[in-house]
Amino acid sequence: MSRKIGIDDLKPGMKLAKALTARAGIMLLPRGAVLTESQIQTLRAMSVEKVSIAGPPTPQITKEQLLSDLDRRFHKAESKPAMKFVKKIVQEHIESLYESNGSCDTEEQC
Amino acid sequence: MNPMDPAILRSSVETIDSLPSIPASLKQIMNLIGSSRVTLEEIANLISQDLALTSRVLKVVNSAIYGVPERISSISYAIMMLGMDTVRGLVIGAAAFELMQKVMAGLWRHSIACATVARIIAVRKDLRNVEEVAIAALLHDVGKVCFGLKYPLELKLAMDQAQDDEITLLEAEKGYFAEDHAAAGRWLTEKWRFNRKMVEIIACHHVPRLSRTARLETSIVHFADILVRARGIGFAGDKMMPLLDDKAFDMLRLSKHDIRRILEELEESLDE
Repeated sequence: MSRKIGIDDLKPGMKLAKALTARAGIMLLPRGAVLTESQIQTLRAMSVEKVSIAGPPTPQITKEQLLSDLDRRFHKAESKPAMKFVKKIVQEHIESLYESNGSCDTEEQC
Repeated sequence: MNPMDPAILRSSVETIDSLPSIPASLKQIMNLIGSSRVTLEEIANLISQDLALTSRVLKVVNSAIYGVPERISSISYAIMMLGMDTVRGLVIGAAAFELMQKVMAGLWRHSIACATVARIIAVRKDLRNVEEVAIAALLHDVGKVCFGLKYPLELKLAMDQAQDDEITLLEAEKGYFAEDHAAAGRWLTEKWRFNRKMVEIIACHHVPRLSRTARLETSIVHFADILVRARGIGFAGDKMMPLLDDKAFDMLRLSKHDIRRILEELEESLDE
């Protein structure tokens, strides 16, 4: 998974979820590149606004929080098979958001 | 102005544009949208006069809700591409953005996410009216905005009750309003002359089998609403899941894999 981060919130050590290309299609940085302070300065100078960074989309919320909210929302509806089915899929989805841990080894994971 | 009286409730909803809390520019737009003789040029002109509205309309057009191949930067081009019916909804949606946030923080995010999911499914189903489905999804809870503007106290009480009794807002509304937010959505969108399918999607989003001319489209928005709530994106006035209609869900023929892909696409769109 990935999230878009504004140029002002980029920190050295963040890993790119997607290759960063300039408007003309020239690749600036490859997917998986770990940003350095000087690269961030360069991106700012080139007026890049946002960058896709690997990792869960809302890192400030923990997986445990999301899953316990999910349980609470569904606790009266779970007896219905269709609701149980949807809940299970969303639960697996939430778990997967936190799994990849920023590593983008194959195309499918990104 | 007792909202438990059906006739009074309906007339309050239909005259929502006379409320002093609604900005004059939005009143003008609501009036124009509801008129039968309005042209695309007139709508384009009116939007273009309002810088904030212009940027919001373009933002929605360029978001994941629409599948436009390249960035659209002019209102008249947007209107030409999308056609009159979606523009009616789009303009109301963009104009109602602030009101949505005022009435219920999180409702805009819930609505945008529903529109995105509805669009993804409509594309998968090869529907021809993808934009209509997306815009109807964006506005499916417009009745809640209306209740919040006209009857803020009653809506607050209904939301509190939903919270205390662990029920949905839809269920709690029964104690405070003669008809629910979906009915209010029908009255409003009929007044704004939305086409029949869009009205039905909004009016029947909790009970898709009641839709006669847009059952598949309504089922899409019904499921989008449930999936977005399940994922916990935005806030629609309550914390409990409404029940998924089995027939509607069967009609969509979505596998576990399909739904996982939809959630991933939704996640990506939220970044933007």
